[in-house]
Amino acid sequence: MKVKYRIVINIIGFLLILNGLFILTGIGFSIYYQSDDIWALLISGIGTSLFGLILWLATRNSEISELGKREGYLIVSLGWIVMTIFGALPFIIYGAIPSYTDAFFETMSGFTTTGATILTDIEILPPGLLFWRSLTQWLGGMGIIVLSLAILPLLGIGGMQLFTAEVPGVTKDKIHPRVKETAKRLWGIYVILTVAETLLLMVGGLNFYDAINHSFTTMATGGFSTKNASIAYYTSPYVQYIFILFMFFAGMNFTLHYMSFHGKFSFFKDNTEFKYYLGFTILASFFIMIIHLPHVDFHWEEAIRQSIFHVVSLTTTTGYVTSDFENWAPFSRMIFFALLFVGGCAGSTGGGIKFVRHIVLFKNGWTELKRLIHPRAVIPVKFNGKAVSSEIISNVQAFFIFYVLIFVLGSMLLALLGVDFVTSAGATATCLGNIGPGIGTVGPVSNFAHLPVPVKWILSIFMVVGRLELFTVLIIFSPAFWKK
Amino acid sequence: MNLKIILKIIGFLLILNGLAMLTALPFSIYYNSNDIVAILISGIGTTILGSLLWFLIKTDPDEDISKRDGYLIVTFGWIASSLVGTLPYIIHGSIPSFTNAFFETMSGFTTTGATILKDIEAVPPGLLYWRSMTHWLGGMGIIVLSLAILPILGIGGMQLFQAEVAGPSKDKIHPRVTETAKRLWAIYLILTVAQIILLLFGDMNLLDAVCHSFGTLATGGFSTKNASVAYYKSAYIEWVIIIFMFISGTNFTLHYFALKGKVFNYFKDDEFKFYGIFVVLIVTATALYLIIHNSQATDSAFRDSAFSIISILSSTGFVTVNYEAWAKFFPEIFLILLLMGACAGSTSGGVKIIRYELLIKSSLTELKKLIHPNAVIPIRHNGKAISNEIISKIAGFVMLYMIIFILASVILSITGLDLSSSMGAVAACLANIGPGLGSTGPMTNYSEVPVLGKWVLSIVMLLGRLELFTILVLFSPTFWKK
Repeated sequence: MKVKYRIVINIIGFLLILNGLFILTGIGFSIYYQSDDIWALLISGIGTSLFGLILWLATRNSEISELGKREGYLIVSLGWIVMTIFGALPFIIYGAIPSYTDAFFETMSGFTTTGATILTDIEILPPGLLFWRSLTQWLGGMGIIVLSLAILPLLGIGGMQLFTAEVPGVTKDKIHPRVKETAKRLWGIYVILTVAETLLLMVGGLNFYDAINHSFTTMATGGFSTKNASIAYYTSPYVQYIFILFMFFAGMNFTLHYMSFHGKFSFFKDNTEFKYYLGFTILASFFIMIIHLPHVDFHWEEAIRQSIFHVVSLTTTTGYVTSDFENWAPFSRMIFFALLFVGGCAGSTGGGIKFVRHIVLFKNGWTELKRLIHPRAVIPVKFNGKAVSSEIISNVQAFFIFYVLIFVLGSMLLALLGVDFVTSAGATATCLGNIGPGIGTVGPVSNFAHLPVPVKWILSIFMVVGRLELFTVLIIFSPAFWKK
Repeated sequence: MNLKIILKIIGFLLILNGLAMLTALPFSIYYNSNDIVAILISGIGTTILGSLLWFLIKTDPDEDISKRDGYLIVTFGWIASSLVGTLPYIIHGSIPSFTNAFFETMSGFTTTGATILKDIEAVPPGLLYWRSMTHWLGGMGIIVLSLAILPILGIGGMQLFQAEVAGPSKDKIHPRVTETAKRLWAIYLILTVAQIILLLFGDMNLLDAVCHSFGTLATGGFSTKNASVAYYKSAYIEWVIIIFMFISGTNFTLHYFALKGKVFNYFKDDEFKFYGIFVVLIVTATALYLIIHNSQATDSAFRDSAFSIISILSSTGFVTVNYEAWAKFFPEIFLILLLMGACAGSTSGGVKIIRYELLIKSSLTELKKLIHPNAVIPIRHNGKAISNEIISKIAGFVMLYMIIFILASVILSITGLDLSSSMGAVAACLANIGPGLGSTGPMTNYSEVPVLGKWVLSIVMLLGRLELFTILVLFSPTFWKK
């Protein structure tokens, strides 16, 4: 089997056309606020669309039926990279981020819904560019939903098969019809939730512009803000609770939202991952509140709010901050560092290892103990009431091993390039998990601007590798992929 | 569950412990030190306690030890030994606090080598000897445990080594353990004696040579000097210890075959190859860095690099230089080495190379399976296909290892240690190495760790030493069901 490049280029061309059109939507705000970024947006938007159009026209005679697994991997990996290359244009043309490394990092952080920023002063950026910055996250989030619920299960990546059965309206085995159906339904929900959050934030006193920007980055579990102080800028408890609620929604499997819209709420008791997600959020917030209370001078309500906010923000991999959690107590750094490895639910816009994998691995580890006592008994690992096949478990194990390996080697590499111990571990963990703030000099109240150029490139790679569930990218580097 | 047989065997272990304590007397007498009484009382007391259990409990001679009994014996054997092992320190008064004495003894029996002693040289020679003896006894225990007992219990992929040494292939624990134990202990003893003699040539006195050999073969790391091996300032002594640390990190079955003339078995073993190549690569890279960047002389660069890296990798924990100061990124590299471990079937701790080898092989196979979903691609070790069950056990092991590492680091940081010290201390204790990072690093000790932290670390040492499952299984409800 030869890799069919034509269809790969065709689809990437199509993505670029869309990308260009989306860049142009920023112009609405530029005009309204009379900012000077209209030209930058216009040039990059039209340029990107034109380039996409050329690619698309040149390969328009390709057949959608040529789309196989290998092409799928290539489209997904290259799609994210090409979008980033072009998405960086508005920042460069306008001059807001003059260095290409920085612009690429920022855009990759956007499309991968990471939220790590190299901007030292966000508020001086014109509104059109800031809107595009938030939009990259929203688009990335859209991509991820389809990827994780429709494409990855078909490709058989990292235990994602566990959800195949739950995705609505899917029967056929071919990628095309499946992706389209799923995409439509889930994007519908994504849009509805985004609109709902925008309205609720406007009720809380945000103007339309800030509300929509923050809704984009919440639903994508991205974490870009239009304010230097992130969510700490909005001191209103109401606004912060809205953020908590919607971050929590964004970290849930979107098929559950789909079910709720159809009046089915049985997942509260049937869905293993949701139960763990909810339970973990409550327990972890409670634990963090209890151990920090003697060290911080928060009012009790604020202590609850701050604890839940940061637990939800870090586990869903959003990365908003309302205070410098690293300095709550001497040991806070360790606790929040551990949270960087949790991740949201599968089928959400969240990144990281994800609950389902932790659950499957933990249950399997525990089952090994039982198997020690009854070596001949067949004790299955159950998830959502069904036994998980050993193929899926070993797939999840492989994911975990690769994740840890990349984290370890990655932070070593950063350390070799001169970044200090804590920062390199924090930056690697936060980029690989698509979270945003790390610990050390890339902590909640700082940014990534000061890191050396090679480090920024390495971290950009980690973001896309983490976002695409490792395998999608790694497989392209395996010799078996290129064999006929 | 057969409580009688468990207590009886623990009684036997206590008798051995008591007698081993008494072997310190010649040194006390020779150096005329003031620890004679402490050693006499604790040695005789422990022996009597053990004898009571051993002789008063009557068991049915036909009854065999079951798996469950096996887990309990191993776990409580270590705990009971650590409890009585504290007696000499407490009675003599050199470690007055029970927490500290327990930490020190647990660190000994688990061959960790983490110490709470600020001034080691102030401790009398008899006690120092007993301190190193706990290492040596722990190492003996581990060899049998990892090559004879754990494979039978089916823990964490250890089945791979089953039936390689021992003659009888019966399923009962008793004959198998005895056979294997005899052969491997002989090798352990021969290597210890060889090292003692070589160290004596390097102008060490007998006490130091014995103590350091005990600490090396057991991959423990207790020294008799405050400055550890750096005290001797002798390249010869350092090289002897480097070689023996490397040997102790090797699977003892390979030594057994080598003594029987099959020297080439070393090079047929996948794990040993990984171990050798890994050591050579890291040592060379580090030495080159030291030569080029820190402009150190070639011979001392190689020696320092080999000593520090093999010391950590084999989970020994002897120190000659402050490697944390070599470069900004060294603590990070050492944290990773802390979690590596050497070969299975050696006295070293940690996750061990074979587990990494198999997990990486299995993960790479998963990538291939994505492209060929219907292909059956076996994972091979030493030419044999490895079953999925073993891989799943190993993955279970690594998962639990990570969880324990993270939880314990969080608890330690709550007790007040900074991030890198708490992670370093937990890694060093879980992998039974000794020196961690930062405030628990190579130039300091564990005396400043808060009491809660010391207990957590003691538990972590035992968990790591007994390959997690041995202890964790006791907490599973299935274990207690009939």
